[in-house]
Amino acid sequence: MAFDVDKYTATSVSVNWDDLDLERFHEHPLPEGSLRTLRYMADVEYHTVCYTRDLLTTPSHKEADMSAFMTMWNREEFWHGEALATVLGIHGIVVDFDEIKADRLKLGWKDKLDPIKQSIAGKLVGTDFVAVHMAWGAANEWSAITAYNRMAELEEDPVLAELLKRIARQEARHVAFYTSQARDRLAKSRKAQVLARFALKNFWAPVGSSIMERTEVVHVMGHLMGGPEGRKGARKIDAAIAGLPGMEGLTIVEDSLNKLGVAA
Amino acid sequence: MTFANGDSTTHFPAGSDRASPARFDVRAFARSAQGNHRETLRLDEFATDPLSGESLRAVRYLARLESGTMEQLRNLLVTATHKDARITAFLVTWAFEKFWIADALDAVLEANGQRKSHEAAEGSTRRSRIESVERRGPIRRAITGLIQGVPIIGVHVTSGLVDEWITRAAYDRLETASANPALSSAISTILGVKARHVAFFDHEARERLADDPRAASLTRRSLERQVWPIGAIDRADDDRSFFESFVFGSDEGRARAADIGRRVAELTGMDSRIGDAVARKLHA
Ligand SMILES: [Fe+2]
Ligand SMILES: [Fe+2]
Repeated sequence: MAFDVDKYTATSVSVNWDDLDLERFHEHPLPEGSLRTLRYMADVEYHTVCYTRDLLTTPSHKEADMSAFMTMWNREEFWHGEALATVLGIHGIVVDFDEIKADRLKLGWKDKLDPIKQSIAGKLVGTDFVAVHMAWGAANEWSAITAYNRMAELEEDPVLAELLKRIARQEARHVAFYTSQARDRLAKSRKAQVLARFALKNFWAPVGSSIMERTEVVHVMGHLMGGPEGRKGARKIDAAIAGLPGMEGLTIVEDSLNKLGVAA
Repeated sequence: MTFANGDSTTHFPAGSDRASPARFDVRAFARSAQGNHRETLRLDEFATDPLSGESLRAVRYLARLESGTMEQLRNLLVTATHKDARITAFLVTWAFEKFWIADALDAVLEANGQRKSHEAAEGSTRRSRIESVERRGPIRRAITGLIQGVPIIGVHVTSGLVDEWITRAAYDRLETASANPALSSAISTILGVKARHVAFFDHEARERLADDPRAASLTRRSLERQVWPIGAIDRADDDRSFFESFVFGSDEGRARAADIGRRVAELTGMDSRIGDAVARKLHA
């Protein structure tokens, strides 16, 4: 099904929580492990805009629909960060832009080289690489939606659950965009399929892996995708990815959980 | 810098952006972002008072420049600028607001029986050896960005400021030339949105140029050779020539360019050589 970008831009809003009683966290604070997961998610959401550099280092930026989507998508993700930062703020955890900057500056060469690597790949294969980016984005958005829904389910707190469900609903629209793009572009090109399969299989890692400490990645994945229920969610993401043209049989999420030592 | 924003402020993390009282509040900016303007545009009036071909051409060109945010973001984010979470947070809302500025300009085009800016045919880009460095792709930008490091942020915010001065001159010229109340009203809405972008770039540029001599020297080199306005490098040669003569071509236009040059020269670390280089390029 084609994704209607005009309709998306016309209805894109910052996630709203004015009507939610977040103040209740003063009396019913969230457990420390959950706050640690929320902090990770907030950082990842704020970082999303940085990934547009990768998506745009391909011919895809010439397309007005792509630009329009990216503009709104960036903003929605930023507001996911703001929503989570507000919850953290009520718990006395201040998420400050200057502090995030200090953290980003600590990132090593891996992050610095990413755009170059991506650009070179983009140059080499032209429009086929857009398909890879779209498939990659779909995997990340599926992960986001699964993570938020899983956390809403795990937390007893009704207010947090509602906020996370609102975020997850926006992630669902991101999934729709990326999958419709990925599906179309992969279906058109055998080369794109081979490339996407290779990239996902060899380079994909849970969102945030390149910007957060490994201990934090292990904590969050253990929290949200550990145990039999968590593993079930992971398999659902894998099944969705495997449903894209040429991606049959990929199990990148499960593989990465095993690599991180997250018990099923 | 504070901006009128009546709605609740309680849902923000305490002390979110508090380094100095004069500092632009990025979170307040994001919270009061201005989106779709179509409701307030006086589009009906164009039916009886249409714009001239020249004005429409300027509107179309400006719409294309305003909607070039993703290309611009790409060029900024392959460098150390992506490390600065305050800047990236600003740019998210900046791109959103510019998307809707371009949409407002598209609405004006449509009300005048024209196609949207990105749907209309566009000529080929200008081929110039001197400009080839500005045409460098993301790979070369990323590599030089690695060498230049954090001071490049100073270049980006200063270019952003100069670009705002230039587009402001263009909107002023268009407003006077068209003498059309509905367009004047649209331009005043647009300038209202852009005022906050100017405020951000102005504050950031002045701070960074004053704090870091490396940022200042990189900025000198960059301003001298840059193509204006930002994004023009990707636009059609004939539209660029039109813009250069429409906004900066007449005696009055040259005065406008000279004024921008003076303001560049007055920035910390810049001088009249840099200011003149910018001004000269405006009416190429
Ligand atoms: Fe998100
Ligand atoms: Fe998302």
